[in-house]
Amino acid sequence: MSSRKMYYLICYDIREPKRWRKCYKLLKGFGERVQYSVFKCYLTDRKLAELRWELTKILSNEDSLLIAPIQQADVNRIIYLNMNIDWQLEKERFRTV
Amino acid sequence: MNDEPLIRVMALHAIEYCERLFYLEEVEEIRVADTAIYDGRRFHEQLPEYVTLEQFVLQNEELGIRGKIDCLRTQQGMLVPYEYKKGHARILPNGDVLAWPSDQVQIAAYSLLLEKHLNRPIMEGRVFYAADHRTVSISIDEKMRNQVMSAIARAKELRASTERPPITANERLCARCSLAPVCLPEEERLVEQVGRDTVRLFPEDRDLLDIHVTSPGSKVRRAGNTLLIEDKDGQKRSFPIEEVGSITLHGNAQITTQTIHLCANKGINIHWVTGGGHYIGSVSNSAGGVQRRLRQYRALIDPELKLRLAKALVIAKVESQLRYILRLTRGSEVRKELESYINTIRDVLSSTNTANSLDELRGYEGSAAKDYFACFSRLTVDDAKNGMAFIHRNRRPPRDPANALLSFLYSLLYRDCVQAIVTVGLDPTIGFYHQPRSQAYPLALDLMELFRVTLCDMTVLGTIHRNQWKVEEDFIQAGDQVWLSDTGRKKAIAAYENRKQDKWKHPVIGYSLTYARALELEVRLLEKEWTGKPGLFAMNRIR
Ligand code: SF4
Repeated sequence: MSSRKMYYLICYDIREPKRWRKCYKLLKGFGERVQYSVFKCYLTDRKLAELRWELTKILSNEDSLLIAPIQQADVNRIIYLNMNIDWQLEKERFRTV
Repeated sequence: MNDEPLIRVMALHAIEYCERLFYLEEVEEIRVADTAIYDGRRFHEQLPEYVTLEQFVLQNEELGIRGKIDCLRTQQGMLVPYEYKKGHARILPNGDVLAWPSDQVQIAAYSLLLEKHLNRPIMEGRVFYAADHRTVSISIDEKMRNQVMSAIARAKELRASTERPPITANERLCARCSLAPVCLPEEERLVEQVGRDTVRLFPEDRDLLDIHVTSPGSKVRRAGNTLLIEDKDGQKRSFPIEEVGSITLHGNAQITTQTIHLCANKGINIHWVTGGGHYIGSVSNSAGGVQRRLRQYRALIDPELKLRLAKALVIAKVESQLRYILRLTRGSEVRKELESYINTIRDVLSSTNTANSLDELRGYEGSAAKDYFACFSRLTVDDAKNGMAFIHRNRRPPRDPANALLSFLYSLLYRDCVQAIVTVGLDPTIGFYHQPRSQAYPLALDLMELFRVTLCDMTVLGTIHRNQWKVEEDFIQAGDQVWLSDTGRKKAIAAYENRKQDKWKHPVIGYSLTYARALELEVRLLEKEWTGKPGLFAMNRIR
């Protein structure tokens, strides 16, 4: 019943443009793109399960997918070159625009 | 011609598990996918290759059921339907491996469908449990057949009823039930067995984002699966749709039809509030729920029930007011000055119990409110130097900054109450205490009474006492009316929304949760007053 959220780095390699676009569009709904086929998503267990199910419907056997949980303890040890990612934990449940 | 819709075999699986689960899912159409359900779906998408998964969709009018068989194989000349399960089989202490009762009924129902379809007997079905790599064989004998038939008969019976069946006696089933946060079985057990440890099945927090669009001239658009919010200077911000729980548009912000469609589809609520802070309306997708509404109407025309609920409500509110004033004046000189007000509120509280009519109750509530706000006025005399004194409660229009702020927070609370009621599937137009009047929903006004002190009054007084307001910046004086300015509105939203995230322990239920969740919990407990166990609504208090 925990609604705790956690960061995941999600990378995929998709051979066919149509499937790639579908996957891209799906992931845009779940998180933020950080590189060509790499997304950063902040998810509860439930959302992760939902996303994995949606992805299974799109991907075929020749595609590959990697989902890496990012522990807060490791955030400062991530190595970047010419880029940066913000892994800050969300403190508030609202945004004012 | 029988135009009753066919029953899904999966629904028979549910009815075998718990009749209430069947009713909630199939009749009331409440479906909540949890982690286990998504994992199960993924499992079915990803079955290993040696399983030739051609799903067989079958239906039969005579049986009155329809369903999808995972796989069909020939074993020694006989056709055998297979069902694949992600989880574990039922393993007895002596090592015997069995299928769970609900899985047995499921595979037997498929067998009967196949028999009708192929016109040849099916003697065996199998369930494969992936977690322990075991296949269990179920013989489709007379007993199994009867069990399927009686499950179908029971399903038809329940479908025709408007009453929710009681919770299951086997509490272990609830811990794995995806609908537990809706059904709240533990809370009902608490009524029967006071003081037991409630297992929390209700999430303590909402994990979604509430977006407020306040900048004048902003536009909310859909871009694929994201929300794109652009302000009038062209600055854009984007939000993944799956992270969003609600959108509140303040003033003249625009939203496109495509976005409204997407939100309806994803169950995201959209609310409109005027620039002056009045709630206008909401859009939410709440189809279905006929049974819920019928039960609500039936319950809330009963004057006795209405009076009982209204009493509980007024007592909860006045007691919160009293406790808050006592807390604010604890160990201070002011307490003496306010003694007479405090005593009146105490007296009102004890008379409330004896009220015989709603009008009488309204009288008590009104007189408590008068003295309560008189205390507010005394407690903010020192804030007069900042222009934030609370001279007396006034609204429509508010005439000073403190009142403008309070009115705005009440609008936000009202919005949250509407949202909570609609989420649960009740009808906000049918209440029990407030009288139907123009525009405002009586049930939302009722629910608000439980949270005015904790979410609004305390936030207003707290921020005033911490000197968080600058009258010239945060408020606009127009004639004798006062409004929040753009910056003031943003601050007020932040104060209110942060307050909603505070956790608090429910004194009766015994677990803690955020106020954001507590709103929904109260609506679910209210529904239990006529569906399940009464006596849990309006028991929340401030400490
Ligand atoms: S939570 Fe328990 S009682 Fe409620 S539907 Fe699920 S199994 Fe049945």
